[in-house]
Amino acid sequence: MPSKKFAMWLFIMADVMTFAACVAAYAFLRNATPDWPRPFHGVTSVAVMTFIMLTSSLTMLMALTAAKIGDKTKAFNWMMITAAGGILFTLLHIREWMGMINQGVHLFSNPWGPAAFGSSYYVITGFSLMHISVGTIALIIVAIRYRGGRYNADDIELMNLFWQFVGLVWLFIVPVVYLMNLAR
Amino acid sequence: MATVEAQAMKKYVAVYVLLLVITALQFLIGYRGAEGERLAVRMLSFAIVETVLVVLFWMNLGSEKKNFIQYVLFTMIFVLATMNYIWTDSFRVLWFRLTGLGPS
Repeated sequence: MPSKKFAMWLFIMADVMTFAACVAAYAFLRNATPDWPRPFHGVTSVAVMTFIMLTSSLTMLMALTAAKIGDKTKAFNWMMITAAGGILFTLLHIREWMGMINQGVHLFSNPWGPAAFGSSYYVITGFSLMHISVGTIALIIVAIRYRGGRYNADDIELMNLFWQFVGLVWLFIVPVVYLMNLAR
Repeated sequence: MATVEAQAMKKYVAVYVLLLVITALQFLIGYRGAEGERLAVRMLSFAIVETVLVVLFWMNLGSEKKNFIQYVLFTMIFVLATMNYIWTDSFRVLWFRLTGLGPS
């Protein structure tokens, strides 16, 4: 295995531990608080965000496949489509946050009581948002450098590993943070 | 497109469809109103299936060397098991809060 790929796997494993700690802390607070808020009346935008994330994961794989057979133009285009998905996801995520802020959910207070709700919500979703937005920037840089000949298919593969990982994290956040806290 | 890549693409699309179906099921279960432990178990079961699909087929862990797969799996299982030790203590805190008993 190339050293760069091994390093990316190590990074992902370290990141898994960070996200797992966040989710475990969230689960602790959620379970230990009898009146934990259930503020999500509809999660249509979350469903759309999930669809975008899954689709961008597929377009990333299309970029990787094209890069492996040496089709540079196709690989570049698929990577840019993936980046567009990342940008769209980030914008929808910010919109979701603005909705929560307008409802009065802040880091240390919210209209429903338990202060930990806001901080845990923003920490988990914010950490994921940070990964996706930074990943989108990295994706654009890698795509441009790949087209310019500085990077090759191996670098696209590293980018693919990271992008699939952030998509996977989102697939855990949706049930834990949103679907298990739908308003009844 | 080379045959190997074409076959890989078919596999990626099949996993994509599967993930869409599983995610749709999660949303359906969320809206249908299961509660508490049952909801958590169902949601996490689906999330684990999604993880296996993504890691094996989209991150191509399945095609790596056996030693490396074992290394990743053992490390991850150890970490996740350790995390599970932490959150279960929340039942003790919940009991204190609901009964008013516990350390003052």
